[in-house]
Amino acid sequence: MIAFEGVTRSYGEKIAVAGLDLTIPRGELFALLGPNGAGKTTTIKMLVGLLRPSRGSVCVAGHDLVRDPRAAHLHLGYVPDEPCLYEKLTGREFLWFIADMFGMSKADAERRIEAEIANFELGEFADDLAESYSLGMRQRLVFASSLLHDPDVLVLDEPMVGLDPRSVRIVKDLLRERTRGGMTVFMSTHTLAMAEELADRVGIMVRGRLRFLGTVADLRARATGQGTAGPAVGAEPQSLEQLYLDITSADGAGAPP
Amino acid sequence: MTPAPPSAEAALFRPISVGEESGIFLRLRWLLASSTLREMLRTSRLRLSLVILLSALFWGSLFGLFHEAFTFVDSLHAEVISLLFNAFFSSLMVMLVFSTGILLYSGLYTTPEARLLLTLPVRSETIFAHKFQEAFWFSSWGFILLGSPMLTAYGIVRHAPWPFFALLLPFMVAFVAIPATLGGILCMAMVAWMPRLRLHALSIALGAALLAMIGLVWMALATPRADTMSAAWFEQVFSRLSITEQRMLPSWWLSSGLIEAAARAKDGSVARHQAEALRYLAVLVSNALMLQLVGRQVAARLHRLGASQLVSEIPTRRKRRMSWFDEFLSRAGTARGRPLRLLIVKDLRIFRRDISQWSQFAIFFGLLGLYFWNVRIFNYQHAYAAMIGFLNLAVVGLILSTFTTRFVFPMISLEGRRFWILGLLPVNRDQIVWSKFLFSFVGGIVPCCLLVLLSDTMLGIAPWLIALHEVCCVVLCAGLSGIAVGLGARMPDLREISPSKIASGFGGTLSLVISSLFIIAVVLVTAVPVHLRFAAEERGLVTTGWSAADRGVALGLAAAVALGLLATFLPLFLGLRAFRRLEP
Repeated sequence: MIAFEGVTRSYGEKIAVAGLDLTIPRGELFALLGPNGAGKTTTIKMLVGLLRPSRGSVCVAGHDLVRDPRAAHLHLGYVPDEPCLYEKLTGREFLWFIADMFGMSKADAERRIEAEIANFELGEFADDLAESYSLGMRQRLVFASSLLHDPDVLVLDEPMVGLDPRSVRIVKDLLRERTRGGMTVFMSTHTLAMAEELADRVGIMVRGRLRFLGTVADLRARATGQGTAGPAVGAEPQSLEQLYLDITSADGAGAPP
Repeated sequence: MTPAPPSAEAALFRPISVGEESGIFLRLRWLLASSTLREMLRTSRLRLSLVILLSALFWGSLFGLFHEAFTFVDSLHAEVISLLFNAFFSSLMVMLVFSTGILLYSGLYTTPEARLLLTLPVRSETIFAHKFQEAFWFSSWGFILLGSPMLTAYGIVRHAPWPFFALLLPFMVAFVAIPATLGGILCMAMVAWMPRLRLHALSIALGAALLAMIGLVWMALATPRADTMSAAWFEQVFSRLSITEQRMLPSWWLSSGLIEAAARAKDGSVARHQAEALRYLAVLVSNALMLQLVGRQVAARLHRLGASQLVSEIPTRRKRRMSWFDEFLSRAGTARGRPLRLLIVKDLRIFRRDISQWSQFAIFFGLLGLYFWNVRIFNYQHAYAAMIGFLNLAVVGLILSTFTTRFVFPMISLEGRRFWILGLLPVNRDQIVWSKFLFSFVGGIVPCCLLVLLSDTMLGIAPWLIALHEVCCVVLCAGLSGIAVGLGARMPDLREISPSKIASGFGGTLSLVISSLFIIAVVLVTAVPVHLRFAAEERGLVTTGWSAADRGVALGLAAAVALGLLATFLPLFLGLRAFRRLEP
C-alpha cells in the first residue's frame, strides 16, 4: 500500500534520507522511530506529497506522489504534528469542507461526520469556531477529518502530542480497529512504548538511514539476546529502551535491516 | 506498484471536477467572510466604524482634491490628463505586480493553510485560483479606494455620460487583474526555478523597482529651483513622463479607455466614443483572462515543485555574537539598572532579527525622508513653509503612532506566554513596563528628530522654529510611547500570539485613536500661535522685544509639553498599576 523505492532526499549538501527502500502492506501499522534530525519528518513529508524525493519514488496505493499527487491524496489521510485549521470555521464546517474535497456524497458525508464527531467526542464544541479550541481539541478534530473518507493509508506525525489520556485511548483503539479493517497506518513517534504497544513493524531511523526494520518481537529478541545481532552469550539482556538508545546513538553499530 | 484494486466496499471518495473544487472554495470563502464579519460586528464595532468613517473621510478628501486638480488642469491643458493617467497607472501597475507576488508567495507557500491544501486531493490550479482571489482583493482595494475618487472627480469635471461611471469598476478590476496575475506567475516561477537565489532575486528586483521609481520621480521633477512651476518646467516634466505612454502597456489601454468613455463628440453624441471605450475594455478583459489561463497552467506545473523546493530550504545557521552596542548597553550604568537594560537589549535583538518590523520601519521612514528631501524643489513663503513644517511634523507623528500601535502596544501582551520566564526572574514588574517605554521612546526619537530636522532644513525654516519643532517631536515620541506601552499594559491580551491581532483589537484601536488625537492636539496648540505670530509679523505688529505674539508661541509650547507629560505618565501610571496586579 505504501512503497518507498530508493528514496533519497538531500537539503543542499546535507542528506536527510538516504536510499530508503520500504514497503508497507495493507492493514499494517508501521511506526517510524528515531532521534531528532533522523529524517522522520522528511520521510513523512515525502509520503504526503509536501516534499519531492531527490531520487527514487514514493507511491501510495500504486499512485506516485510526484506524478499523480491527486490520485495518491484520495487514498491518504494525514494528521500533522501541528494541526492546521481554519480559525474562523467551526469544527463541523471544517469537516464538511474536507468531505467535499474528497467528493463524498451528501448522505455519506453527513453520516461519516456524525460518526467521527461521536468517535472523537467532539459534539460539545463541534459548532464553535476553531479559534477557541485547545491543542487537544484541534488534534481530535484533525484526526476526525483525516478519517472521514475512510482512507486506505493514514499518516500520523507525532499523533499523541496534546491529547489527554482519554483521547489517547480513543485514538489507540481506533487505530487497532481500522488496521484490522485493512487501513495502513504510517506513524512517526518518539515514544517507544507506543510503538511497542501498537506497531506491527518498527523502523528505527538514524541520520537518514533505516538502522532497524522488523517487528517489535524482533526488537525484543535482540534486546534479550535471542536475535542475530544480540549481545554475546552470557551478557545481561538489554531493555528495549537501552537497545533503542544503542541503535540511535552516534557510535551505535546498529545491524543493517 | 500498480494502483490498488477497488475494495469490495465502494470507496467513499471520488475525484471531483474543477468546477466542484471551485464551488467548495467559494463556499469556504463565504463561510470565512461571514464568520469574520459577524465577529467584527460583535467584538470590534469601534474599529469597524472607525475604518468606515476614516475611509469615507479619505475618499471625500481625495475626491475634493482631485476635483480641484482636474478643474485646474482641464482649463489649462486638456491633453495633460492622458499623460497623468498613464504615469499614475503605469507606476501603479509595477507596484501591483510586486504586491500581489509577495501576497501570493505567502498564500501559496508559507501559510499553514497552504500546507493543508497541498495534502488534499485538490488541483494546484484551483489552489492558485483560490489564493489569487485573496491576493487580488488585498491588492485591488487600495487601488479602488484611491482610483475611484480620482476617476469620479474626472468624470464630473468632464461632464462624462453615465456609462463612464458604470464602466469604472469593470475597467479597474480588469486592469488590476493583469499585473496581479503577472505577479503570481513571477512568484511561482521564482520559487520553483530559483530556490537558492529566490531571496536575493527578490531583493534585487524590489531594489531595482524602487530605484526605477525614485529615478522616474527624480527625472520628472529634478530641475533647477528657479524654474520650478514655470511653463518650461511643466513642459520638461511632461516630456519626461511621456515614456509611460506605451501602447502595449495595460495602463495605456486603461487610460485611453477611460478618456474615451468620458468623451463626447462636438455634437454631443457619445456612441462612437463609448464603442471605442468598450473596445479598450475588451482588450483589458481578454488579456486578463488569457493571463489567468497562463497562470493556471504555470500553477499546474510549478506550484507543487516550488512548495517542495521551499520545504527543502534549511534555515541559515549563523553564530550570533553579542554586538558591541548590546554589550555596551548591558554593562553601562549602575548595577541596579542592569535588569532594565538587559530587558531593553532583549527587545532590541528581537527587533533587529524580525525583518517585518525593521523593514516596515525603514520603508516608511525612508519614503518620508525622500519626500522631505524633495520639498526643497519648491519655493515657499516664510509663513507657508512654517505651516508645511508643522504638517510634516504631524505626518512624522502619525507614522510613528502606527508603529507604536502595531509593534509597541502588543509587546506586553506578547510577554504573556513567556511570563513564566519574566515572572520568575529577580526583576521588578515595573521595570518590564519601563523597559518597553524606554525602548520605544529612544527608538522613535532618533529617526523622528532627524526627519523633522531634514524637513525644516529643506524648507529653509528659521532656527527658533526648528528648535520648537524638535521639542514638539520629543513630546510626541514620549507621549506616543506612553500611550502605547501604558494601554498595552492596562489592556493586555495574554492568550493571543499574533501581534497584528493584538494591535487590531479594541485596545490597539483605542491606542491608535488616542495617539491620533494627541498628535493633532500637540500640533494645533503649537501651530496656531506660530501662525498668528507670522500674521502679526506681516502686519508689523511684532516688535524686536518679547511681544504678545511671542508669548503666545511660548504658551503654546508649554501647553504641548503639558499635554506630552499627561499623555506619557497617565497611561503609564494606569498600565503600571494594572501590570503589578496582573495574574497571567
